[in-house]
Amino acid sequence: MATIKIAFATVRGGLDDVLADRFGRAPTFTIVEVDPATGEIKNIEVIQNPGYTAGGGAGVRAAQTIAEKGAKIYVGPQPGPNAYAALQYLGIKVIPLTGTTVRQALQAALQQLQQQ
Amino acid sequence: MKVPEIRPPVELVVASGKGGVGKSTLTAVLALTLAEKGYRLVAVDADAEAPNLHLVLGVEEWSRVDEVREGRLAYILDDRCTRCNICAEVCTYGAVEVKDGRYTINPYICEGCLTCSLACPPKAIRYRFRVKSGEIRVAETHYGFTLVSAETMPGRPNSGKLVTEAKNLGKKLLGPSGVLLVDAAAGIGCQVVSSLTGAQLVVLVAEPTLASLSDLKRIHKLTKHFGIAPMLVINKYDLNIDTLPLIEEYAEKENIPVIGRIPYDPSVPKAMAEAKPITVYDPDSPAAKAAKSIANHIAENVLPHWRAWWAKYRPRKPEPYVPIILRPGQDNSRKHA
Repeated sequence: MATIKIAFATVRGGLDDVLADRFGRAPTFTIVEVDPATGEIKNIEVIQNPGYTAGGGAGVRAAQTIAEKGAKIYVGPQPGPNAYAALQYLGIKVIPLTGTTVRQALQAALQQLQQQ
Repeated sequence: MKVPEIRPPVELVVASGKGGVGKSTLTAVLALTLAEKGYRLVAVDADAEAPNLHLVLGVEEWSRVDEVREGRLAYILDDRCTRCNICAEVCTYGAVEVKDGRYTINPYICEGCLTCSLACPPKAIRYRFRVKSGEIRVAETHYGFTLVSAETMPGRPNSGKLVTEAKNLGKKLLGPSGVLLVDAAAGIGCQVVSSLTGAQLVVLVAEPTLASLSDLKRIHKLTKHFGIAPMLVINKYDLNIDTLPLIEEYAEKENIPVIGRIPYDPSVPKAMAEAKPITVYDPDSPAAKAAKSIANHIAENVLPHWRAWWAKYRPRKPEPYVPIILRPGQDNSRKHA
Protein backbone atom coordinates (compact mmCIF):
# COMPACT_ATOMS: atom_id res chain seq x y z
CA MET A 1 0.00 0.00 0.00
CA ALA A 2 1.31 3.38 -0.93
CA THR A 3 2.05 5.87 1.80
CA ILE A 4 0.97 9.47 1.86
CA LYS A 5 2.56 12.51 3.42
CA ILE A 6 0.54 14.70 5.76
CA ALA A 7 1.80 18.15 6.75
CA PHE A 8 0.95 19.60 10.17
CA ALA A 9 1.50 23.25 11.14
CA THR A 10 3.47 23.08 14.39
CA VAL A 11 5.50 25.20 16.79
CA ARG A 12 8.54 23.09 17.67
CA GLY A 13 7.63 20.09 15.59
CA GLY A 14 7.21 16.41 16.39
CA LEU A 15 4.31 14.13 17.22
CA ASP A 16 3.76 15.49 20.73
CA ASP A 17 3.78 19.15 19.77
CA VAL A 18 0.48 21.02 19.62
CA LEU A 19 -0.77 22.43 16.34
CA ALA A 20 0.24 26.04 15.67
CA ASP A 21 -2.52 28.64 15.58
CA ARG A 22 -1.72 29.88 12.07
CA PHE A 23 -0.63 28.38 8.77
CA GLY A 24 1.47 30.92 6.87
CA ARG A 25 3.49 32.03 9.87
CA ALA A 26 3.66 28.73 11.72
CA PRO A 27 7.27 28.24 12.88
CA THR A 28 7.60 24.68 11.58
CA PHE A 29 5.82 21.98 9.66
CA THR A 30 5.86 18.38 10.80
CA ILE A 31 5.53 16.10 7.80
CA VAL A 32 4.39 12.61 8.65
CA GLU A 33 4.60 9.83 6.12
CA VAL A 34 1.92 7.33 6.95
CA ASP A 35 0.24 4.26 5.53
CA PRO A 36 -3.41 5.33 5.33
CA ALA A 37 -4.76 1.77 5.58
CA THR A 38 -2.95 0.70 8.74
CA GLY A 39 -2.06 4.06 10.25
CA GLU A 40 1.56 2.95 10.52
CA ILE A 41 3.99 5.86 10.63
CA LYS A 42 6.86 5.39 8.19
CA ASN A 43 8.73 8.63 8.63
CA ILE A 44 8.55 11.95 10.48
CA GLU A 45 10.27 15.07 9.26
CA VAL A 46 10.29 18.53 10.84
CA ILE A 47 11.02 21.42 8.50
CA GLN A 48 11.34 25.14 9.09
CA ASN A 49 8.72 27.31 7.48
CA PRO A 50 10.28 30.10 5.40
CA GLY A 51 6.93 31.92 5.68
CA TYR A 52 7.55 32.42 9.43
CA THR A 53 10.03 35.19 8.77
CA ALA A 54 8.70 36.35 5.39
CA GLY A 55 7.69 39.95 5.02
CA GLY A 56 4.82 39.27 2.68
CA GLY A 57 3.37 36.25 0.91
CA ALA A 58 3.93 34.03 3.95
CA GLY A 59 1.00 31.70 3.24
CA VAL A 60 1.94 31.08 -0.37
CA ARG A 61 5.54 30.37 0.57
CA ALA A 62 4.41 27.95 3.28
CA ALA A 63 2.15 26.16 0.78
CA GLN A 64 5.03 25.89 -1.67
CA THR A 65 7.29 24.45 1.03
CA ILE A 66 4.98 21.63 2.04
CA ALA A 67 4.21 20.87 -1.62
CA GLU A 68 7.93 20.54 -2.36
CA LYS A 69 8.14 18.00 0.45
CA GLY A 70 5.44 15.99 -1.32
CA ALA A 71 2.63 16.50 1.19
CA LYS A 72 -0.84 15.72 -0.16
CA ILE A 73 -2.81 16.69 2.93
CA TYR A 74 -2.46 19.64 5.27
CA VAL A 75 -3.84 19.55 8.83
CA GLY A 76 -3.90 22.66 11.01
CA PRO A 77 -5.55 26.04 11.36
CA GLN A 78 -7.59 27.35 8.44
CA PRO A 79 -5.17 29.03 5.99
CA GLY A 80 -5.82 32.54 4.74
CA PRO A 81 -7.47 33.15 1.35
CA ASN A 82 -4.25 33.37 -0.68
CA ALA A 83 -2.66 30.39 1.03
CA TYR A 84 -5.88 28.44 0.60
CA ALA A 85 -5.91 29.15 -3.13
CA ALA A 86 -2.27 28.11 -3.40
CA LEU A 87 -2.96 24.84 -1.57
CA GLN A 88 -5.90 24.13 -3.85
CA TYR A 89 -3.81 24.82 -6.90
CA LEU A 90 -1.08 22.52 -5.62
CA GLY A 91 -3.67 19.80 -5.05
CA ILE A 92 -3.24 19.68 -1.29
CA LYS A 93 -6.32 18.77 0.71
CA VAL A 94 -7.01 21.00 3.71
CA ILE A 95 -8.33 19.60 6.99
CA PRO A 96 -8.91 22.53 9.39
CA LEU A 97 -8.12 21.63 12.99
CA THR A 98 -6.63 23.40 16.03
CA GLY A 99 -5.99 22.91 19.72
CA THR A 100 -4.82 19.29 19.62
CA THR A 101 -1.49 17.51 19.48
CA VAL A 102 -0.10 16.26 16.18
CA ARG A 103 -0.73 12.68 17.32
CA GLN A 104 -4.46 13.33 17.88
CA ALA A 105 -4.71 15.35 14.68
CA LEU A 106 -3.14 12.49 12.74
CA GLN A 107 -5.79 10.09 14.05
CA ALA A 108 -8.55 12.54 13.06
CA ALA A 109 -7.08 12.97 9.59
CA LEU A 110 -6.75 9.22 9.05
CA GLN A 111 -10.35 8.72 10.14
CA GLN A 112 -11.50 11.28 7.58
CA LEU A 113 -9.45 9.55 4.89
CA GLN A 114 -10.85 6.13 5.69
CA GLN A 115 -14.42 7.40 5.52
CA GLN A 116 -13.95 8.46 1.93
CA MET B 1 -20.88 38.82 38.84
CA LYS B 2 -17.93 36.50 39.25
CA VAL B 3 -15.69 36.64 36.22
CA PRO B 4 -14.93 33.21 34.80
CA GLU B 5 -11.39 32.18 34.05
CA ILE B 6 -11.12 31.74 30.31
CA ARG B 7 -8.58 29.03 29.65
CA PRO B 8 -7.11 28.76 27.07
CA PRO B 9 -7.42 32.46 26.19
CA VAL B 10 -10.08 33.60 23.75
CA GLU B 11 -9.26 35.99 20.94
CA LEU B 12 -11.84 38.69 20.24
CA VAL B 13 -11.28 40.95 17.23
CA VAL B 14 -13.00 44.25 16.50
CA ALA B 15 -13.12 44.78 12.73
CA SER B 16 -15.20 46.73 10.26
CA GLY B 17 -13.95 46.77 6.68
CA LYS B 18 -14.73 50.45 6.38
CA GLY B 19 -12.61 52.91 8.32
CA GLY B 20 -13.86 55.56 10.70
CA VAL B 21 -16.90 53.66 11.92
CA GLY B 22 -15.75 53.52 15.54
CA LYS B 23 -13.58 50.43 15.96
CA SER B 24 -11.02 52.03 18.28
CA THR B 25 -13.66 53.96 20.21
CA LEU B 26 -15.60 50.74 20.84
CA THR B 27 -12.44 48.73 21.54
CA ALA B 28 -11.43 51.23 24.22
CA VAL B 29 -14.81 51.00 25.95
CA LEU B 30 -14.76 47.22 25.68
CA ALA B 31 -11.24 47.00 27.11
CA LEU B 32 -12.11 49.30 30.02
CA THR B 33 -15.28 47.38 30.82
CA LEU B 34 -13.61 43.98 30.70
CA ALA B 35 -10.71 45.18 32.87
CA GLU B 36 -13.16 46.79 35.32
CA LYS B 37 -15.05 43.54 35.67
CA GLY B 38 -11.84 41.70 36.45
CA TYR B 39 -11.05 39.89 33.22
CA ARG B 40 -7.40 39.15 32.53
CA LEU B 41 -6.93 41.21 29.42
CA VAL B 42 -4.33 42.31 26.90
CA ALA B 43 -5.37 44.74 24.15
CA VAL B 44 -3.55 44.63 20.81
CA ASP B 45 -3.63 47.52 18.36
CA ALA B 46 -3.33 45.59 15.11
CA ASP B 47 -3.76 48.61 12.87
CA ALA B 48 -0.02 48.68 12.23
CA GLU B 49 -0.22 51.19 9.40
CA ALA B 50 -2.09 53.77 11.44
CA PRO B 51 -2.05 52.78 15.10
CA ASN B 52 -4.09 55.05 17.36
CA LEU B 53 -5.62 52.97 20.15
CA HIS B 54 -2.88 54.27 22.45
CA LEU B 55 -4.11 57.80 21.77
CA VAL B 56 -7.68 56.91 22.72
CA LEU B 57 -6.37 55.24 25.89
CA GLY B 58 -4.16 58.21 26.76
CA VAL B 59 -0.88 56.27 26.77
CA GLU B 60 2.00 58.66 27.36
CA GLU B 61 4.94 56.34 27.68
CA TRP B 62 5.94 52.95 26.31
CA SER B 63 7.41 50.54 28.82
CA ARG B 64 9.04 48.51 26.09
CA VAL B 65 9.81 49.07 22.41
CA ASP B 66 11.01 46.20 20.20
CA GLU B 67 12.36 46.94 16.77
CA VAL B 68 11.43 44.57 13.98
CA ARG B 69 14.06 44.32 11.28
CA GLU B 70 13.35 42.61 8.05
CA GLY B 71 14.13 42.57 4.36
CA ARG B 72 16.78 44.41 2.38
CA LEU B 73 17.25 47.57 0.37
CA ALA B 74 19.61 48.21 -2.51
CA TYR B 75 21.99 51.16 -2.72
CA ILE B 76 24.53 52.18 -5.36
CA LEU B 77 28.25 52.80 -4.74
CA ASP B 78 28.72 56.00 -6.66
CA ASP B 79 32.47 55.58 -7.28
CA ARG B 80 31.91 52.22 -8.93
CA CYS B 81 28.87 53.24 -10.97
CA THR B 82 29.61 53.61 -14.70
CA ARG B 83 26.25 55.29 -15.46
CA CYS B 84 25.36 52.52 -17.89
CA ASN B 85 21.65 52.80 -16.99
CA ILE B 86 21.16 49.01 -16.99
CA CYS B 87 19.82 48.96 -13.42
CA ALA B 88 17.15 51.49 -14.34
CA GLU B 89 16.16 49.35 -17.32
CA VAL B 90 15.83 46.10 -15.37
CA CYS B 91 14.10 47.46 -12.27
CA THR B 92 10.43 46.44 -12.51
CA TYR B 93 9.46 48.88 -9.79
CA GLY B 94 11.12 51.94 -11.25
CA ALA B 95 13.10 52.50 -8.07
CA VAL B 96 16.28 53.75 -9.76
CA GLU B 97 16.42 57.53 -9.92
CA VAL B 98 18.84 59.64 -11.90
CA LYS B 99 19.63 63.10 -10.64
CA ASP B 100 22.45 65.26 -12.06
CA GLY B 101 23.97 62.16 -13.66
CA ARG B 102 24.05 60.32 -10.29
CA TYR B 103 22.21 57.05 -9.89
CA THR B 104 20.37 56.43 -6.62
CA ILE B 105 17.71 54.00 -5.45
CA ASN B 106 14.55 55.26 -3.84
CA PRO B 107 14.22 53.25 -0.61
CA TYR B 108 10.44 53.67 -0.54
CA ILE B 109 10.06 51.95 -3.89
CA CYS B 110 12.85 49.31 -3.70
CA GLU B 111 11.53 45.82 -2.92
CA GLY B 112 14.97 44.26 -2.39
CA CYS B 113 14.47 41.82 -5.27
CA LEU B 114 18.22 41.66 -6.20
CA THR B 115 17.57 42.08 -9.94
CA CYS B 116 19.63 45.26 -10.34
CA SER B 117 22.66 43.85 -8.53
CA LEU B 118 22.65 40.79 -10.79
CA ALA B 119 22.45 42.95 -13.90
CA CYS B 120 24.96 45.62 -12.85
CA PRO B 121 28.16 45.15 -14.95
CA PRO B 122 30.65 46.82 -12.51
CA LYS B 123 28.89 45.25 -9.48
CA ALA B 124 28.25 48.66 -7.95
CA ILE B 125 25.04 47.72 -6.15
CA ARG B 126 25.11 46.67 -2.51
CA TYR B 127 22.42 45.82 0.00
CA ARG B 128 21.50 46.97 3.44
CA PHE B 129 20.06 43.98 5.26
CA ARG B 130 17.70 43.84 8.22
CA VAL B 131 16.18 47.21 7.49
CA LYS B 132 13.97 48.46 10.30
CA SER B 133 10.42 47.71 9.22
CA GLY B 134 8.52 48.58 12.33
CA GLU B 135 8.15 48.62 16.08
CA ILE B 136 6.16 46.66 18.59
CA ARG B 137 5.44 48.74 21.64
CA VAL B 138 4.07 47.81 25.04
CA ALA B 139 2.44 50.10 27.59
CA GLU B 140 0.58 49.74 30.87
CA THR B 141 -2.59 51.79 30.53
CA HIS B 142 -4.16 53.79 33.37
CA TYR B 143 -7.08 51.40 33.28
CA GLY B 144 -5.43 48.23 34.52
CA PHE B 145 -4.51 46.32 31.39
CA THR B 146 -1.59 46.07 28.99
CA LEU B 147 -1.61 47.45 25.47
CA VAL B 148 0.55 46.02 22.69
CA SER B 149 0.77 48.26 19.65
CA ALA B 150 2.34 47.51 16.28
CA GLU B 151 3.63 50.26 14.02
CA THR B 152 5.15 49.89 10.56
CA MET B 153 7.73 52.26 9.17
CA PRO B 154 6.37 54.19 6.20
CA GLY B 155 7.08 52.37 2.95
CA ARG B 156 8.06 49.06 4.52
CA PRO B 157 5.89 46.15 3.49
CA ASN B 158 5.56 43.95 6.55
CA SER B 159 2.37 44.96 8.30
CA GLY B 160 1.00 41.40 8.39
CA LYS B 161 4.11 40.05 10.01
CA LEU B 162 4.19 42.87 12.55
CA VAL B 163 0.59 42.17 13.50
CA THR B 164 1.40 38.48 13.93
CA GLU B 165 4.32 39.33 16.19
CA ALA B 166 2.30 41.87 18.18
CA LYS B 167 -0.42 39.25 18.72
CA ASN B 168 2.16 36.64 19.73
CA LEU B 169 3.67 39.06 22.25
CA GLY B 170 0.16 39.84 23.53
CA LYS B 171 -0.52 36.13 24.04
CA LYS B 172 2.78 35.72 25.87
CA LEU B 173 1.99 38.63 28.21
CA LEU B 174 -1.50 37.28 28.76
CA GLY B 175 -0.34 33.85 29.85
CA PRO B 176 -2.53 30.77 30.05
CA SER B 177 -5.93 32.42 30.49
CA GLY B 178 -7.85 35.58 29.68
CA VAL B 179 -8.98 37.64 26.73
CA LEU B 180 -6.88 38.94 23.84
CA LEU B 181 -8.74 41.95 22.48
CA VAL B 182 -7.57 42.90 18.99
CA ASP B 183 -8.37 46.22 17.33
CA ALA B 184 -8.04 45.41 13.62
CA ALA B 185 -7.26 47.80 10.79
CA ALA B 186 -9.82 48.92 8.26
CA GLY B 187 -9.91 46.97 5.03
CA ILE B 188 -9.47 43.29 4.25
CA GLY B 189 -5.76 43.22 3.45
CA CYS B 190 -2.69 41.48 4.79
CA GLN B 191 -2.75 42.94 8.28
CA VAL B 192 -6.48 42.33 8.73
CA VAL B 193 -6.01 38.72 7.65
CA SER B 194 -3.27 38.47 10.27
CA SER B 195 -5.55 40.03 12.89
CA LEU B 196 -8.28 37.47 12.20
CA THR B 197 -6.09 34.37 11.97
CA GLY B 198 -6.51 32.28 15.08
CA ALA B 199 -9.41 34.35 16.47
CA GLN B 200 -12.65 32.83 17.71
CA LEU B 201 -14.97 35.84 17.96
CA VAL B 202 -15.28 39.02 15.96
CA VAL B 203 -17.25 42.20 16.65
CA LEU B 204 -18.12 43.75 13.29
CA VAL B 205 -18.77 47.48 13.41
CA ALA B 206 -20.91 49.10 10.72
CA GLU B 207 -22.64 52.40 10.17
CA PRO B 208 -25.78 52.91 8.10
CA THR B 209 -24.15 53.88 4.83
CA LEU B 210 -23.93 51.93 1.58
CA ALA B 211 -20.13 52.09 1.74
CA SER B 212 -20.14 50.50 5.17
CA LEU B 213 -22.62 47.81 4.06
CA SER B 214 -20.44 46.93 1.10
CA ASP B 215 -17.34 46.73 3.30
CA LEU B 216 -19.24 44.79 5.95
CA LYS B 217 -20.02 42.12 3.37
CA ARG B 218 -16.37 41.91 2.41
CA ILE B 219 -15.01 41.63 5.95
CA HIS B 220 -17.77 39.17 6.84
CA LYS B 221 -16.72 36.99 3.94
CA LEU B 222 -13.21 36.94 5.37
CA THR B 223 -14.43 36.03 8.87
CA LYS B 224 -16.54 33.25 7.35
CA HIS B 225 -13.41 31.95 5.67
CA PHE B 226 -11.70 31.66 9.05
CA GLY B 227 -14.75 30.16 10.77
CA ILE B 228 -15.05 33.04 13.26
CA ALA B 229 -18.35 33.69 15.04
CA PRO B 230 -19.48 37.26 14.32
CA MET B 231 -21.59 39.83 16.18
CA LEU B 232 -22.61 43.19 14.81
CA VAL B 233 -22.63 46.68 16.32
CA ILE B 234 -24.31 49.44 14.34
CA ASN B 235 -22.70 52.76 15.14
CA LYS B 236 -24.26 56.18 14.40
CA TYR B 237 -27.43 54.23 13.60
CA ASP B 238 -29.65 57.32 13.59
CA LEU B 239 -27.62 59.18 10.96
CA ASN B 240 -29.28 57.47 8.07
CA ILE B 241 -32.53 55.74 8.95
CA ASP B 242 -33.12 54.76 5.29
CA THR B 243 -30.02 52.56 5.05
CA LEU B 244 -30.31 51.04 8.52
CA PRO B 245 -32.79 48.32 7.41
CA LEU B 246 -30.37 47.18 4.67
CA ILE B 247 -27.69 46.49 7.28
CA GLU B 248 -30.18 44.74 9.55
CA GLU B 249 -31.53 42.62 6.70
CA TYR B 250 -28.04 41.52 5.78
CA ALA B 251 -27.31 40.61 9.41
CA GLU B 252 -30.50 38.60 9.68
CA LYS B 253 -29.94 36.77 6.42
CA GLU B 254 -26.37 35.87 7.43
CA ASN B 255 -27.21 34.88 11.04
CA ILE B 256 -25.16 37.72 12.55
CA PRO B 257 -26.60 38.76 15.92
CA VAL B 258 -26.94 42.54 16.28
CA ILE B 259 -25.71 43.14 19.82
CA GLY B 260 -26.21 46.88 19.94
CA ARG B 261 -26.85 50.22 18.30
CA ILE B 262 -24.96 53.38 19.17
CA PRO B 263 -26.50 56.78 18.35
CA TYR B 264 -24.58 59.59 16.72
CA ASP B 265 -23.21 61.72 19.50
CA PRO B 266 -21.08 64.91 19.23
CA SER B 267 -19.37 64.04 22.51
CA VAL B 268 -17.45 61.23 20.73
CA PRO B 269 -15.18 63.56 18.72
CA LYS B 270 -14.79 65.73 21.84
CA ALA B 271 -13.64 62.69 23.80
CA MET B 272 -11.15 61.92 21.03
CA ALA B 273 -9.79 65.45 21.23
CA GLU B 274 -9.29 64.92 24.97
CA ALA B 275 -7.61 61.52 24.34
CA LYS B 276 -10.07 59.79 26.64
CA PRO B 277 -12.38 56.84 26.07
CA ILE B 278 -15.95 58.06 25.67
CA THR B 279 -17.13 56.38 28.88
CA VAL B 280 -14.47 58.29 30.82
CA TYR B 281 -14.97 61.64 29.08
CA ASP B 282 -18.74 61.75 29.48
CA PRO B 283 -20.27 58.58 30.96
CA ASP B 284 -23.80 60.00 30.68
CA SER B 285 -23.69 60.78 26.97
CA PRO B 286 -25.98 58.62 24.81
CA ALA B 287 -23.06 57.06 22.90
CA ALA B 288 -21.20 56.20 26.11
CA LYS B 289 -24.28 54.53 27.57
CA ALA B 290 -24.92 52.51 24.43
CA ALA B 291 -21.28 51.46 24.08
CA LYS B 292 -21.15 50.55 27.77
CA SER B 293 -24.22 48.34 27.49
CA ILE B 294 -22.71 46.58 24.47
CA ALA B 295 -19.49 46.01 26.41
CA ASN B 296 -21.48 44.72 29.40
CA HIS B 297 -23.37 42.35 27.12
CA ILE B 298 -20.11 40.95 25.74
CA ALA B 299 -18.62 40.68 29.24
CA GLU B 300 -21.65 39.03 30.81
CA ASN B 301 -23.34 37.05 28.07
CA VAL B 302 -20.80 36.30 25.38
CA LEU B 303 -17.36 35.75 26.91
CA PRO B 304 -18.33 33.51 29.88
CA HIS B 305 -20.01 31.11 27.43
CA TRP B 306 -17.99 31.89 24.36
CA ARG B 307 -17.82 28.28 23.18
CA ALA B 308 -21.62 28.03 23.14
CA TRP B 309 -21.83 31.41 21.41
CA TRP B 310 -19.30 30.28 18.84
CA ALA B 311 -21.18 27.05 18.22
CA LYS B 312 -24.43 28.99 17.76
CA TYR B 313 -23.21 31.69 15.39
CA ARG B 314 -20.18 30.24 13.68
CA PRO B 315 -20.43 30.05 9.90
CA ARG B 316 -21.91 26.74 8.84
CA LYS B 317 -19.34 26.08 6.20
CA PRO B 318 -16.14 27.90 5.38
CA GLU B 319 -16.31 30.35 2.54
CA PRO B 320 -15.02 28.54 -0.56
CA TYR B 321 -12.19 30.17 -2.41
CA VAL B 322 -11.79 29.48 -6.09
CA PRO B 323 -8.17 29.90 -7.05
CA ILE B 324 -7.45 32.20 -9.96
CA ILE B 325 -4.97 30.29 -12.09
CA LEU B 326 -3.12 32.15 -14.80
CA ARG B 327 -1.10 30.18 -17.29
CA PRO B 328 1.31 31.63 -19.82
CA GLY B 329 -0.29 32.31 -23.18
CA GLN B 330 -3.82 32.32 -21.79
CA ASP B 331 -6.15 35.25 -21.83
CA ASN B 332 -5.38 36.69 -18.42
CA SER B 333 -8.33 39.04 -18.19
CA ARG B 334 -10.31 38.11 -15.09
CA LYS B 335 -13.78 36.81 -15.68
CA HIS B 336 -16.18 37.47 -12.86
CA ALA B 337 -18.82 34.87 -12.40
